Amino acid sequence: MILRLVIADGSQSPAVAESVEVAADGALTGWRSVSDGGAGWFDGRLPPAELAEIQALIEAVGATPPKAAARPDSAEEVLELDATGPVSIAGLTAGPGDWSKLAAAARGLLDRLTDFPRAVVGVRYAPGVARLVHRGADPVRVDVGTVTVGATAWRGYYEPAGDWAGAVAGPGEIEAGPEWTYDLPLGLSFDSDTVVHLTADFTILNGPTRIPVRAKFTPDAPS
Amino acid sequence: MASAEQRTPEFEPPDAVGVRRPDPGPAGPVMLPGAGNAAMARMLQGAPSGPAGLAELSALAGNAQLARFVGGPPAPAAPAAPGVGAHGGPIQELQVKLSRLQASAAPLTEDGRYGPLTEAAVRTFQTGAGIVPVTGLADPVTTAAIDAAFAALPAPVRVQLALGATGPDVGFAQQKLNAVGANPRLVINAVFDATMMGPVIAYEIAALHRFPTGTVDAAMWTALDAGVKGGFVAPEGAGATPVEQNTPSGTANSLGTQVAGTSLHPVVGVGGLTSGPGVHELQQKLNNAGAAPKLKDDGSFGPLTQAELRKFQSGRVPPLPATGTADKATWDALDVASPASMTGAVERQWTEVVGGATYSMVGVGASHYSWEIQKTRMLVTAKVNFVGLAAPGAWFGHVEAMWNQYKGVDPASGTSMPIDFKMSSGGGGDANTVEVKPGTGRANAGEWFVADPNASKTIPHEFGHLIGLQDEYQLHPGDYVRVTGHEPPVGDAAGPAIAPSVVATNLQNAMVARSSANAQAASIGAGVKGGAYAQRVVQEYAKLATVTVPAVAAVAGPPPVPAKPAVPLTGDLLFDLNAALPSDNNSYETIQTFSYSSGSIMGDPGRVTDPHDHGAQPRHLGEFMAILGRALGGTWEAKRR
Repeated sequence: MILRLVIADGSQSPAVAESVEVAADGALTGWRSVSDGGAGWFDGRLPPAELAEIQALIEAVGATPPKAAARPDSAEEVLELDATGPVSIAGLTAGPGDWSKLAAAARGLLDRLTDFPRAVVGVRYAPGVARLVHRGADPVRVDVGTVTVGATAWRGYYEPAGDWAGAVAGPGEIEAGPEWTYDLPLGLSFDSDTVVHLTADFTILNGPTRIPVRAKFTPDAPS
Repeated sequence: MASAEQRTPEFEPPDAVGVRRPDPGPAGPVMLPGAGNAAMARMLQGAPSGPAGLAELSALAGNAQLARFVGGPPAPAAPAAPGVGAHGGPIQELQVKLSRLQASAAPLTEDGRYGPLTEAAVRTFQTGAGIVPVTGLADPVTTAAIDAAFAALPAPVRVQLALGATGPDVGFAQQKLNAVGANPRLVINAVFDATMMGPVIAYEIAALHRFPTGTVDAAMWTALDAGVKGGFVAPEGAGATPVEQNTPSGTANSLGTQVAGTSLHPVVGVGGLTSGPGVHELQQKLNNAGAAPKLKDDGSFGPLTQAELRKFQSGRVPPLPATGTADKATWDALDVASPASMTGAVERQWTEVVGGATYSMVGVGASHYSWEIQKTRMLVTAKVNFVGLAAPGAWFGHVEAMWNQYKGVDPASGTSMPIDFKMSSGGGGDANTVEVKPGTGRANAGEWFVADPNASKTIPHEFGHLIGLQDEYQLHPGDYVRVTGHEPPVGDAAGPAIAPSVVATNLQNAMVARSSANAQAASIGAGVKGGAYAQRVVQEYAKLATVTVPAVAAVAGPPPVPAKPAVPLTGDLLFDLNAALPSDNNSYETIQTFSYSSGSIMGDPGRVTDPHDHGAQPRHLGEFMAILGRALGGTWEAKRR
């Protein structure tokens, strides 16, 4: 391991509990609890150029980051490097300086991670339906007996065009594998000229541990 | 901001107030813990009588409420027969009364807006009172009947309290003693112990002018209730929802704590701002300080302004370096020479402690805002440099809808002036930087989410930070009083049938084990709710021998847990819970139980539902009332418009 980032925030439900780890050979692994790419385990490998960028940033920073308290309402962010051990980077906002650049890159790795699903359940939108979909090659055990779905429709550039939230009954505890999908009907249909964002809250089972998670569907912002 | 998830409020209303016998006190003589209490000692030596005594207590507490009790201006009258669509302070007062008279279906949100719920409550009242026709309008006959019925509401039934007493009334007495100046402040723990005895005796001497009895008897309750509002539980709405009535205490300061040694003024001139409100302010102050000829107040830092600035700097005794740049020392001197201006720019560096963690807006991330007193209004603007995605247009409207509800009023002169808030988009050294990110997520002061479904609340909350306001959730008691201007609620006074010391020990054990689940089980799981009992746990925790929790490696999970360094526990429960436990739902809810949150826009309206304290509150405009006073004279108050 040359870098590990964990972001945690218990003020939300489901809690934000995200991790990404980079190995010296570029192996990229981690877990997402609240994510546009779905919730679950991710596993992949960074291309050499991306790995080299990360390594250069790691080598550039000193032993300790500049002391900076986080902005109000921020989540906890702990970065671990071989040379530093765990350090808080929640106060390192975008800007000049090696540590700020490394912090931004590490946060970016959490997004990059979602390109490499291993055992993940995400959510997609089809008109009138929130569709849970399995991503990756490995199965994942989930409790989708009750899925809390939130749908928000936008028109133009994020002008509110309606929303709906509700608990939708699903098939219960199941093992979701490749090709698995499950449709969750929404209680409201949205106009065709709107763009719909979705959240789906359910539970991933890891042995005896139940982890509440949120998969999100976020269409690209209009240009 | 805090989650908008709707959950059961953590602060349960306390038990209904009734007549109870105080618990028997300890045998033996009563020891007065007066040592070190300068305020009490002074009162014991020479207690002034009558209004002077009350005034002294008021001064001790900085207590505006008590001062108002002694004598204050009448509230402006409501227009005749207001109905749906009317708004303002009188409507808010009407809502208070309708809820208390249980004419509304549920406690009315006291927002000063005469909407359908208020109209329905008026109709219900008119029907019950036999007023015809039933119009739903607060006409003079109806208003008079409401006023009379409200005045006739029975006073809270109070229990005589003596050393050893426990229960909600002890908590309410503690609130009121704090409000009139108990020093040090009493913890609202609903236990009449030796610590409470000092302020009780001091009040007996100073306010009641009697030989101390060490009891809160009927006479003392009468005086406390007359002097300090609130401090009881009242049924509100037709369903008799028990609602704890807030106890005002001191003058609220809702701003974050300014970083020591920093200026509230941005650097103006070479190396700083060269145009905009900051330059206007500089030019106005230089003119007021005697610039000759007067500078043109054009907001542009040119050679004439620089020359006049140098002249001002070199003219100080001792002289300031004539740099031609307005730095902290120069602004300090200008503020003394010329306190008032009609325009100002603020760069506020501040910190806050929330949930035991420290947050800040400092350096380039400081709060930047400006204000201008115009002919017919005061305009407060926070300029934002949006980076990443563009800001949705609706966000600008959310700010105005939430914040543009107040006017400044100078009761002495009868002058009033709307206070308008505006978020504008733009760059420069006097702009706040906010990254607009795709999708949804938890916003913070510098990251907002373009598809935030709760933007109507999130954006005004974060805007509050841009004008220097701190969060109002998960606060220590002292911070809660400072930022809200009312005492922490008594909440659950009784607690579960388990000694607070046991809960405290279990919590420490959970921290040593780094287990938030154990902490949750030891507190919430054991029946602990927010309020007085929880504060007894906090006190017991502070007595425990401190230990150092060893460092712990990251846990891959899921859920993942970050590595934590060794933590020397401090005895401050909130600090320690935050430092020792992983940030997850269990730790957050545990911290919530032992801290205080308001229901205002700067608080946690998703968890704390408070019909009396919600949305933007007058306290949030306190800074701008002071500015109006400096610029226009008088003492200004924020009132609903």
